[in-house]
Amino acid sequence: MAWGTLVQKLFGNKGSATLAKDRLQVVVMYDRLGLSAAQMEALRKDIMETIGRHVAIDSERVKIDFLPVPAEVTITAPVRRGRTPSEPQKQQAG
Amino acid sequence: MSGRAIVITSGKGGVGKTTATANLGLGLAKHNRKIVMVDGDIGLRNLDIIMGLENRIVYHLVDVISGRCQIRQALVKDKRFPHLCLLPASQIDQKEAIKPEQMQDLVTQLKEEFDFILIDCPAGIEQGFRNAVAGADEAIVITTPDVSPVRDADRVIGLLQQSLGDPQLIINRMSTQMVQRGDMLNQQDVLDILAVRLLGIVPEDEEVVVAGNRGSPVVLNEKSQSGQAYERIVRRILGEEVPIPELNGHGNFFHRLGKLFSRR
Repeated sequence: MAWGTLVQKLFGNKGSATLAKDRLQVVVMYDRLGLSAAQMEALRKDIMETIGRHVAIDSERVKIDFLPVPAEVTITAPVRRGRTPSEPQKQQAG
Repeated sequence: MSGRAIVITSGKGGVGKTTATANLGLGLAKHNRKIVMVDGDIGLRNLDIIMGLENRIVYHLVDVISGRCQIRQALVKDKRFPHLCLLPASQIDQKEAIKPEQMQDLVTQLKEEFDFILIDCPAGIEQGFRNAVAGADEAIVITTPDVSPVRDADRVIGLLQQSLGDPQLIINRMSTQMVQRGDMLNQQDVLDILAVRLLGIVPEDEEVVVAGNRGSPVVLNEKSQSGQAYERIVRRILGEEVPIPELNGHGNFFHRLGKLFSRR
């Protein structure tokens, strides 16, 4: 192994393969669903709104993942602790 | 006799479909099976060149399908194995010159005489692809460990699953050094994305270029790494249990340490 590579490894620098895999997972997800990036964003918004109507969620961090095996869509929506959707207004007022 | 018709496809061009078809054909012929290779790439034929049989072509696929000659007349016998034949593509016609049903009929006839019908599919997912897939019972998808070919392979796998079921995968041109460096997708990365059965891995090998120059595919060269890989793939196709050697690199200490650090 070359010294450059060794240093890279020691400092936790990822090779380009990791980036390749991450990019592939995203494009393949769009390809399989037949959705464009814009449509995907619209889906994310819709999901966010629907969940948000019942549970207070951190809308910035809502994530949609597509897993190939077994094929499934996972929605990750971090819930804000100690609040219900109707509460934020009260808190702001108080 | 009822042979197995296998289409070799990839979506992306230039990843090694024709080279793989030639090597699998010769490899299977070495195991004394009766083989016919059908060049499905009408307008851009190349299987004859890779096989070193370009000077022996008289008739071609479109001649057979349009009734200008008998199948027998168009088959080019390999110079090394008499039980290996090539049905060349036409170089002047369009992909639309044949229809999927005609291809299906042809393959059905070929199955009566041959153990294996290997169909070399053109790149793309249009008419040429539909023709090549029409007569097949099973499919082998070839990809290299690069972003575009894997993406296209995923598209093709999706299309194949609608008609033929799950294809098997060959990963071509894998470089151990680049994988170890973390600069090339490894076999597990590719399988995580594509989620199909792995039939084999062919390492990056300069011998493939030499073989192409000579018209003598690498499977005939027992010393070459890629030739040995094709030989193992052939044995797997014949139903033998042949383990897939790790080309991932064994993951030496620093490699593993690097992986550990790169985990979130």
